[in-house]
Amino acid sequence: MIRVPPRSVSPFRKPSAGSAGAGSTYRACVRPSIRLLTGRFPEPPAVLRRGPLRADAFPSRLHDPRVASLLGIWLGTAFGVCFLTGLMSHFMQHPPSWYVWPSRPVSLYRVTQGLHVTTGLACVPLLLAKLWTVYPRLWEWPPVRSVAHAVERLLIVPLIAGAVFQLATGIANIAQWYQFRFFFTVTHYWVAWITIGALGVHITAKLAVVRANVGRRRDTRSHLTDRVSDPEPGTGAGLSRRGLGIAVTGAAGVIVATTAGQWAPGLSGLDLLGPRRPDIGPQRLPVNKTAVAARVTAVARDPGYRLEVVGPRPFVLTLDELRVFPHHESKLPITCVEGWAADASWCGPRLRDLLDAAGVPADATVRVESLEAGGAYRTSEVHPPHARDPLTLLATGLNGADLDIDHGYPARLIAPNRPGVLQTKWVHRVVML
Amino acid sequence: MNGDAVVPHTHGRSYTDGRRRTLGTAAAAVLRALVTAAGLAAIGYGIHGLIDGQPATNPPNTTAWLIGGILAHDLMVVPVTMAAGFVLSRLIPAPYRAVLQAALLVSGSVALASLPLWRGYGGSADNPSVNPLPYGRNLGIVIGLVWTCAAAVIVHRAVRARRKRAGSGIPSDPQVGP
Repeated sequence: MIRVPPRSVSPFRKPSAGSAGAGSTYRACVRPSIRLLTGRFPEPPAVLRRGPLRADAFPSRLHDPRVASLLGIWLGTAFGVCFLTGLMSHFMQHPPSWYVWPSRPVSLYRVTQGLHVTTGLACVPLLLAKLWTVYPRLWEWPPVRSVAHAVERLLIVPLIAGAVFQLATGIANIAQWYQFRFFFTVTHYWVAWITIGALGVHITAKLAVVRANVGRRRDTRSHLTDRVSDPEPGTGAGLSRRGLGIAVTGAAGVIVATTAGQWAPGLSGLDLLGPRRPDIGPQRLPVNKTAVAARVTAVARDPGYRLEVVGPRPFVLTLDELRVFPHHESKLPITCVEGWAADASWCGPRLRDLLDAAGVPADATVRVESLEAGGAYRTSEVHPPHARDPLTLLATGLNGADLDIDHGYPARLIAPNRPGVLQTKWVHRVVML
Repeated sequence: MNGDAVVPHTHGRSYTDGRRRTLGTAAAAVLRALVTAAGLAAIGYGIHGLIDGQPATNPPNTTAWLIGGILAHDLMVVPVTMAAGFVLSRLIPAPYRAVLQAALLVSGSVALASLPLWRGYGGSADNPSVNPLPYGRNLGIVIGLVWTCAAAVIVHRAVRARRKRAGSGIPSDPQVGP
């Protein structure tokens, strides 16, 4: 078979001359630099084209641009969901000054973070299948056609490295398995930017291939690239393209079905392979950081415990006084950044009632402080939407009993639509900022 | 699709159509350039964040894990997949091979996505609510169900092939499905 010399599929394409206004600047600067980028290098000697570099080295019908395009669309969408939900979680925990996070809907964070983790897990078969279909591209001939082609190929490195990194570290983190020597959340966040950036460049570079291979009228777009799907042999040995699609969908489906129960109501019975079960833990509720790990066991059980509320009219409550402060009940989920969520019934004074008693104005932000001596989550800020929400409690009871020490005895913050790490436990101080 | 490839196809179209299409392609080219620039900026932002976020980000260790991911795929996942495919192609006739490949893909993905759990990695002794389930048993149940489905498809295909052979009177290979 005679191969047509491939046309460039680089992301750097010059606009057609008629449409660019054909200004003198374009002719003088842009055109030569584009020519520099897309000018073809001389072909390497054919004698070097051996082993995996041979034209017919990978005969499987699964190494196909249409399969790669379809998987790419699904994977790209999934990574988009992970990026946006991850960004949301990041901004919730590190709010920029211009943004105030709402306290409703109550379960928004449960859904976004659940989606983040579940979608990431479902990406495992998608990414593996995608890499398999495009594997021969690693042995593309000629290896480098032009400067633009070299840049495009080079940017595949951060894309694949980032994608594998995000999935691997995410899977390790939800199991609390720490073999790496970097701090997970910060590194996962910055590598997300690298990955999504490389994905953006990749999509622009491959858009022509996708358009020529996907969609009802794809035949009319086959001139866009030399990578057009060959008809699949009717009978063949092993998995067909449709079969691969079914297998990947099945794998993603099994992963979602057996893990989404750790956050999605009604699915917990199917939660066979999630790192958490919403009903397993002290008082039938999971714990992320125990009192032992936080080193607060003695100080939290100290009978001399006092809750201090600092505002224009500061006051101090003993444990008994806190117990007779008007109590309310809130049914709120604990929604963890690790993607699990569990419903519970909390009991205790409303935060806003405590703040009112201390004369804290309605538009003030407060800081809630734990008895912990240190750690990244010792304190958290509560902005007005959460501080004033009638569901927000300084809970002293859980599911009809006193709060377990691992859930933050004697008092913990519980607010709607807020990551678990910001639901500060073992609270002893509330300070107006 | 360099500039020459996007010259509008004018057959059957008016001049205005062609011109609109040219403008559309120019807009698409500008959009592509913008997305590419934004992508490069995001990569730069991420790298800057990794360097700026020391010591939490530990760039040498992060780099090792980034490169390690690619190497693990290219030097472990790919050869293992190729070897499995090779063995299957020698041992299993074509229509059943597809079912086995699909079942292996599902089993492998599920096992990989839950690897720390069934290997017993992670968690801490003082917190029994982390990784609390019998994951080895659970993975066995899930993969057992997958292979039960696979076995059902294989039996179905075998029966269909036998009927076909009996009907035509000619011994032939069973037809291939997905």
